[in-house]
Amino acid sequence: MARIDKSEEKVVFVGDSRVRKGNGFITPPDYSAYPGKSEAFIPNFLLKEWMVGVVVLVGFLVLTISEPAPLGYPANPSASVIPMPDWYFLFLYQYLKYPYASGDWVVLGTLGIPGVAFGGLLLAPFLDRGKERRFYRRPIASSLMFLSLASIVYLTNVAWTHYVDELEKSGQKPEHIQRVEEAREKRAQGLPTSNAIKTKEISIVDKDDPAMESYKKATCISCHAADLKGGAGPSLRGIGDKHDKEAILAIIHNGYNNMQPAYDNAIKAGLTDEDIDHLAEWLAKQKAEQ
Amino acid sequence: MSIHNDEHESSHKPPTRKEMSRRQFLTYTLGGATAFMVGGAALPMVRFAVDPILHKKGAGTFVKVVEASKITNEPQEFTFELQQQDGWYSSTAALVAWIRKDESGNIYALSPICKHLGCTVDWNKNANFPNEYHCPCHNAHYTKEGKQLAVASAPLDEYKVMLKDDWVYLGEIIPNTIVK
Amino acid sequence: MFKNVYDWIDERLDITPIWRDVADHEVPEHVNPAHHFSAFVYCFGGLTFFITVIQILSGMFLTMYYVPDIINAYNSVEYLQTQVAFGQIVRGMHHWGASLVIVMMFLHTLRVFFTGSYKAPREMNWVVGMLIFFVMIGLGLTGYLLPWDSKAYFATKVTLEIANSVPIVGPIIKELLQGGSIVGAETLTRFFAIHVFFLPAVLLILLVGHFIMIRRQGISGPL
Repeated sequence: MARIDKSEEKVVFVGDSRVRKGNGFITPPDYSAYPGKSEAFIPNFLLKEWMVGVVVLVGFLVLTISEPAPLGYPANPSASVIPMPDWYFLFLYQYLKYPYASGDWVVLGTLGIPGVAFGGLLLAPFLDRGKERRFYRRPIASSLMFLSLASIVYLTNVAWTHYVDELEKSGQKPEHIQRVEEAREKRAQGLPTSNAIKTKEISIVDKDDPAMESYKKATCISCHAADLKGGAGPSLRGIGDKHDKEAILAIIHNGYNNMQPAYDNAIKAGLTDEDIDHLAEWLAKQKAEQ
Repeated sequence: MSIHNDEHESSHKPPTRKEMSRRQFLTYTLGGATAFMVGGAALPMVRFAVDPILHKKGAGTFVKVVEASKITNEPQEFTFELQQQDGWYSSTAALVAWIRKDESGNIYALSPICKHLGCTVDWNKNANFPNEYHCPCHNAHYTKEGKQLAVASAPLDEYKVMLKDDWVYLGEIIPNTIVK
Repeated sequence: MFKNVYDWIDERLDITPIWRDVADHEVPEHVNPAHHFSAFVYCFGGLTFFITVIQILSGMFLTMYYVPDIINAYNSVEYLQTQVAFGQIVRGMHHWGASLVIVMMFLHTLRVFFTGSYKAPREMNWVVGMLIFFVMIGLGLTGYLLPWDSKAYFATKVTLEIANSVPIVGPIIKELLQGGSIVGAETLTRFFAIHVFFLPAVLLILLVGHFIMIRRQGISGPL
């Protein structure tokens, strides 16, 4: 696809328009003042750049394969977790713990010092206006940067050691590690490993129990429905969490809130006391958690 | 992809045969590096995105519905629940089946979803259509085998039926196999 | 075939100069690690961009499974990480890439600072670069909440408390980011919108500006 440059001397227009054909999108900068040779972006320079890119990508892929992204347990406002920001915020996080950055000085801490630091960084070209570019000839700018770097490293390190100490003191493990270990144990036992928040409805326990027949026969079904989900009466699924067997028997005999006593109807329908006892026992087994 | 312009190369090195192959080598290496970078980054993502179509479809689960002895020649309505796992979302679908056994004792279960526009049909409820499935929406009606008699263009779907230990298990919905 | 299509378009739109300009522009020797190994410090800008592209791609793919809702956010992240093939890798790319992009950008910033490359006439490009830095930090901050695990929840609470301590506007900023009086459903959707739409849009505009300025002004000369 080597194209011969058509832009000889005469003026060239784009198509049939009066738009003059330019020399390119952007006038190329002139590097002739610099020592040494220059080379074309594609393929010469880009190849070298991309060799570095390939090395980085390989390292990156190895990291992603060997180290899964951390994931803890679902957010729980009452969990006792030591809050940790992402690592690159640690220095700010630590710095805000110091006396002149918190309490009565919190404005200095949240606005003053970071404002000056980041504002200074943002406006560096307008603060450091000398012509000199070598860092060792710009003592003020360079030393400020070195000082900032040193304090960032120091603060990050303090925050991290503090966090590790806290973990050790409270005997906690970071949640993402705990979750992975727990999942491994569960998998070894053949249990599901998911921590997903369940909104699953409560299912009927022991659906094939003869009590299910008694339940239908005893006309409970007309208010509480065949699937126990309730209709005129409340749902009986998970009723075992609310009442035990004795309480259920009492409800059958004496009624409950708006419910009429159901015992006589049940006997009329041909159930025995034994059946009703078993029915109450079965209903008491209807628990949400198994 | 020989994008490079010739003038540049020739300005500092004589245009020899060797020079050409060097440039080709550069181009190929660049192409290879590009392919690797695109592939290395994009392939996992593409595999991630197409995962649903590569999932093995389960053989379909069967749900225990009713004792086989309760099935009569007259269609009866049974409701049953199907646990559905939709990605991270699990739900319970309540399904309805009309089950009967034919004269030779084969049990089959029909889905009451009308094949016309998806209303729910009912057995023997409309006085004008005795012993037929009737749809209240547009008067579609079906025989007890599910054969369409009016409006609808296809017979009622049926459930896969499995008999085990004298219980009827129902599976996924398939097109009607009883009537042609 | 391809050539014919290309020629047909080129005849009408004259697209050749656009890409030729990018392809053929000269790069000086002093930024080329093949000439002086120390020139590898000039690679960090390009690497930042490369990782950014990976971030954008992996983020786009993650939204195929992710749901920004307090019940389903965790469930969907857990699902895509444990059930979907390569989910662990794609989420890993996005998670580790977020850290890597900060590292690369930090090194790039230091290179520009210590070589004095921000000096006239490149002041504006430095300012744009710093804005990109802040946008990236914002992306990291908002993205941290999205899996909705306890760590993310508490870190976000702390961040919003910090915002709250700014005088006068603090409580307004906090409530605006939080979308209500607690960190909850509305916070998550807000952070999602900011993370996925607002900040990336700003980022792309700034990146275009950054690159156009580099091409206009050229790479700063050797020391």
